[in-house]
Amino acid sequence: MASHSSDLENARVNSPNPVKYVSDFFDRYPIHKNYYLRIFLQALVTIWAVMSFTFVLVRLMPGNPVDVLIEQILTQEGISYQEAYDRVAASFNIDPDASMLDQYVDYVGDLLRLDLGTSITSPGTRVIDEIARFLPWTIFAVGCGFLISFVLGIVLGMTMAYYRDSVLDHSLSLVSSFFTGVPNYIWGLLIIIGPGITWKWFNVGAARGTYDPGLTPGFNAEFIASAIEHALLPIFTYVLATLGSWMLSMKSSTASVLNDDYVNVAEARGLKDRRIITSYVGRNAMLPLFAQLSISIGFVLGSGVVIEEIFVYWGFGHYLFQAITVRDYTGIQGSVLILSSTFVFSNLLADLTYGLLDPRVRITGEK
Amino acid sequence: MKTAASPNFLLSLLRMPWALLSGSYHFINRLRANRAGFIGFLGLIAYFILTFIMPYFIPFDSEVNLDEIAGPVGSRIQLAVHRDNAHLKTFEDLASKTVGVVDQTGGPSLIAPYADSITIEKYRWTSRRAGPGIRAALLDLADKEIDGMLIFSKTVEQILADDEDLELQAVYREHIVISNPELGPPHLLGTDTQGRDIATHIVHGGRILILTAVIGGVISTLIALVVGSLSALLGGPLDSAMTALSNLILAVPRLPLLVVLAGLIRFDNTLFLGVMIGLLGWPPLMRAIRAQVLSLRERDFVEAARSLGLSTTHIMFREMLPNMISYVMINFIFAITFAMYEQIALLVLGLAPIDDYTWGVMLYFGRSRGTLYNEDGASMALAPVLAIAFFQVCLVLFARALEEVFDPRLRSAV
Amino acid sequence: MYRKTLLGLLLVALSLLAFAPVQAQDNVLNVAWPYQVPPTGHFNTFASGGIALGQYQDLHEPPLAVLMWATGDYQGMVAEEFGWDDDGNYVISIVDGNTWSDGSAMTADDLMATFNIFRLRGDAVWANMSGIEKVDDSTVKFHMESPSSLAERIILTTNLRPASVFGDIADRASMMSPGDDGWDALLQELTEFRPEMPVSGGPYTIQPDTISEANLMLALNPGGFAGDIQHYDMVRMWNGETEVVTPLVANQELHYITHGIPPTTEEDFANRGIDIVRSGMNNGPGLYVNHAVYPLNMVEVRQAIAYAVDRIQNGVVSLGESGVAVEYMTGMSDGLSEAWLSDDVLDSLNTYDHDLMKAEELLMGVGFSRNDAGHWVDDNGDTLSFELTFPQEYADWSAAAENATAQLNDFGFDISARGVQFQQHPQDIYSSNFEMAIRNWGLGDPIPGRSYLQAYNRYNGQGEVAGEGGGAGMNFDNNVDFSGGMVNVFDLSNMSSQGVDKDAQAELVSQLAVSYNELLPAIPLWERYTNNALNRNFIMVPDAGDSIFANFGGGADNWMTTLILTGVTAPADM
Repeated sequence: MASHSSDLENARVNSPNPVKYVSDFFDRYPIHKNYYLRIFLQALVTIWAVMSFTFVLVRLMPGNPVDVLIEQILTQEGISYQEAYDRVAASFNIDPDASMLDQYVDYVGDLLRLDLGTSITSPGTRVIDEIARFLPWTIFAVGCGFLISFVLGIVLGMTMAYYRDSVLDHSLSLVSSFFTGVPNYIWGLLIIIGPGITWKWFNVGAARGTYDPGLTPGFNAEFIASAIEHALLPIFTYVLATLGSWMLSMKSSTASVLNDDYVNVAEARGLKDRRIITSYVGRNAMLPLFAQLSISIGFVLGSGVVIEEIFVYWGFGHYLFQAITVRDYTGIQGSVLILSSTFVFSNLLADLTYGLLDPRVRITGEK
Repeated sequence: MKTAASPNFLLSLLRMPWALLSGSYHFINRLRANRAGFIGFLGLIAYFILTFIMPYFIPFDSEVNLDEIAGPVGSRIQLAVHRDNAHLKTFEDLASKTVGVVDQTGGPSLIAPYADSITIEKYRWTSRRAGPGIRAALLDLADKEIDGMLIFSKTVEQILADDEDLELQAVYREHIVISNPELGPPHLLGTDTQGRDIATHIVHGGRILILTAVIGGVISTLIALVVGSLSALLGGPLDSAMTALSNLILAVPRLPLLVVLAGLIRFDNTLFLGVMIGLLGWPPLMRAIRAQVLSLRERDFVEAARSLGLSTTHIMFREMLPNMISYVMINFIFAITFAMYEQIALLVLGLAPIDDYTWGVMLYFGRSRGTLYNEDGASMALAPVLAIAFFQVCLVLFARALEEVFDPRLRSAV
Repeated sequence: MYRKTLLGLLLVALSLLAFAPVQAQDNVLNVAWPYQVPPTGHFNTFASGGIALGQYQDLHEPPLAVLMWATGDYQGMVAEEFGWDDDGNYVISIVDGNTWSDGSAMTADDLMATFNIFRLRGDAVWANMSGIEKVDDSTVKFHMESPSSLAERIILTTNLRPASVFGDIADRASMMSPGDDGWDALLQELTEFRPEMPVSGGPYTIQPDTISEANLMLALNPGGFAGDIQHYDMVRMWNGETEVVTPLVANQELHYITHGIPPTTEEDFANRGIDIVRSGMNNGPGLYVNHAVYPLNMVEVRQAIAYAVDRIQNGVVSLGESGVAVEYMTGMSDGLSEAWLSDDVLDSLNTYDHDLMKAEELLMGVGFSRNDAGHWVDDNGDTLSFELTFPQEYADWSAAAENATAQLNDFGFDISARGVQFQQHPQDIYSSNFEMAIRNWGLGDPIPGRSYLQAYNRYNGQGEVAGEGGGAGMNFDNNVDFSGGMVNVFDLSNMSSQGVDKDAQAELVSQLAVSYNELLPAIPLWERYTNNALNRNFIMVPDAGDSIFANFGGGADNWMTTLILTGVTAPADM
């Protein structure tokens, strides 16, 4: 996907070196339209490629939904293989003889009608309903966790860069190194075992799930309070696990910006420190992080798998992992489609807004 | 480069050992100025010794000991004697005495060297219950049929403190004392679910993991550096294609992809995992480097170089790389930590090969065998977690230090 | 400062959790079973994905009868009278006076609906059945081709479903035959059928609005079967697999789990005063070999392996006290062996006690020798190098594999163990893509012949199920020659569950047991016992010695659900 490099190229279309690969057709139209249309089409192509890739991928996975379910029934109940087979085979409505191409054509046809199909392991349940059931919780928890750790990381990282080599810098650096080093799922387990079981700071059982049973989801205080309460542990874990890397990235980024000439110039001009911190250093230092953030948004949606299992906070990650475990092909395909679309479009958004944040790019663009 | 074969180059090759030596001297000197970074550096050296050298001296403990399952940190074999014989403390004291050991425990191998001087009474581990063999021996000890008994600290605590059979417990308590609580060598990190020493597993479990992570880091960083800077400098179709490829790789969720790959490709060698992680791991860094290069490209000194008509290669290596080296280095370290994180995550989810007994596999088994919920046994999972965590911490601290050593602008500022 | 405010907020938020309400424990039975939440989970218990609560489904859809394993007799539940009539048909009368939670009466129609749906699904129970007939409002006659203990068991362990929910589809199915137009469509209608409400005929009913990821509630259903003798107002069913429920048990919020727990967790529970209840599962991991791989096809080699592996050690390191070494090595559990084999036969069995000398002799006897490195070399000069695969997600089996490999390698084999994803592992066995593997022997079923279906059918060509991807499995020739003559062991295992003459069945079972003991087609390692965590401070059930604990630890006949259905299980402080 083209990002702002082509933006730059396009912006310079009147300069002595016009871009070669823009066709005559687009020349007749205003340049930005051409650009937006192109990156949008590229996004669609990426999604289509991922979708097709996933379609083949899931069918190459070892094991298949029928056998996995048979195995599950066999381990749970004392029945023979024959009985389990009878029971499972009858409750699936997939045609095992259909060729992969036929299945693919059917699937794409359904997709064009915005239909993600029905679940294989729970026939009759629409995949879109399942995703709609689980996705919002993940967006909520991951979103909060990400926002908090991003903001916190920016602030702490800049602090570290400004007070370089001070005790504060060193201790924060150690802490952040530790946060980064310990995998997020380990944080989850440690939180359950330490504060949860050993010290009994909170009630492990009551903290499970996404909200208290018996409440009606909606815009009422009780429900919202309950939802926040239940999301606290996952959010806390997300913050712990991602804070360190934001801090360190922000610190190194700030450090390099601090050495840039324009900061010195600004200082020489006698601008107030606060002004320099926010509009000069902060803004420029955040640039590389902003690129990182846009990548992370899509990426992190699927990364909560283990955390959601540990805290029994069932969101999208749990759904995807469950679908993979039981080899629910349509479920996996639907989830991956959502994931990759989120990723691709958040990148698109990042590309489009990139210029707003980088004064240098904007200046060139306005030339 | 074009000077590759010139005499100058060969000469500089000859000088390399000296340059390397003095270079490292200066490097270490500079590092020492940064205390945290120096600690990280020392930590990495310690890890190198721990995982690459110590395995040659400390053998992997593979002996299953049924009474030492999930033993706590520092647990060891103790000497139990009759209350009247409390003066018997060492193997020397036990010469010409009869000592009881139970098979399938650590006792037999510990007493084996003294077989000439000590009469050894063997008890069978007769049943699945952790008792009968041991309890029979303890009863014989209480009756003075044997003079001493080798017993594991955790077992003796359990039996003396809260044996289910209260009558027997009273008998044990009345007659039996521990005369030497430090007879056997201690298990520094406790024992695992098969009664094997965890410390030796830690020593042996890091090498492959670290190599895999480094391989992953090197591959992803190299690809990212080359692809990222070329894309940004050359632009055009190459840029579009590479950006599209990186987006594609990022957009395919890692989990299903790795499940499939793990099923399709049989990993005979864990190191392949590093290659795979590297091949899939470059896009984020590539995008960051691309952004850096794009940003650098707009700077005055690059514009100046360009207006002078200098070649892209020159601009890349002479103007831009020095400005990015700190960023690339710190990201190389992060790539290693990421590769480490990723392979451990795969192991914990049970998606990676578990043939080599690495820290990740210890963690996987420790978790799936429930040791995290058991105070005594927790170190089977916690020890590798800490080993991994501190390794990562050292890496990051070291990266910080490197950043200062290599960054030309920071250097000039000093 | 900004950052302090945020940190403060986080801390405050976290401390809020400390005041999260602790659920009142009065009169609620806290148990656990993993289930799917809606919309994935639903109330059609005939289709996959339904919220079927394992053995606790009995509380919702009561079973017809329960086998008391200690005596071998069925105790009627919903079925008041049951048995074979003079024509060899099976007749069941159900208890009068119970109502489903939707208000409809529990009658013979429910039985008809349940079995008509089984017919639509193609369940095995219909293999031996020519039709069902409603005799009166409470009685149904099952027309059987021949009486068999197996058919009786399958019928009696059925969970009764309400005709008010499934009657429509069942009626339409009863008027059609497989292959008719509309049969497949009806089957699809069944699998996609989504009842709006769960309808219970047992003592407790699922409350749909309480279903969350964490737990769901079942409320007392006074009109349902055994609804009048319950000691609880509610059952709270906690959701999740072992790792999820473990902290809840430790925290005393959850008082009984049937999840297999690792020995170290067991130890922790025991330290907290939580009882561990063990009952036999009649199955466990065994060492399977591919009989197409030389020299694993030699009986002496398999016997040597059996001698060389200390099964006691293997069981203890794998599952602690619940990994009970198999003693008789008959291919079925020791409990079944003792129940079905005469003392003479039992005495004649080889118990393959750990004995490296015997193993050595056996291998020497067939011309194998040790090379300089101490490894065994077969008569062709090849080392005994094999790959042993196991499903790596199964904690106890992976431990068994790890330990068996170490023991065999100590003895001079050269075995490398490799973990395989659990979804793939059985596929590898079905398609003969293995050398040695850890798979399960035995079956949690009181009918002994069925234990042999794993070795002779499932992992050996899958018998009749073959056809769809069924490979040759372990390549064992089911026509065996043993000290008792030539028999086909697969036919034997099927025949031994037919008829109702126990002595005749026992004779066939003896042949199965002795031939297995001699030939060891696969080597059983240990029997898995349950290690249910039971917190007796909250739940009162009989003490450990009670005969009810002879009942199966999972699925049908489960002792806990039987105790609930008979009104025995009660809060401990009563």
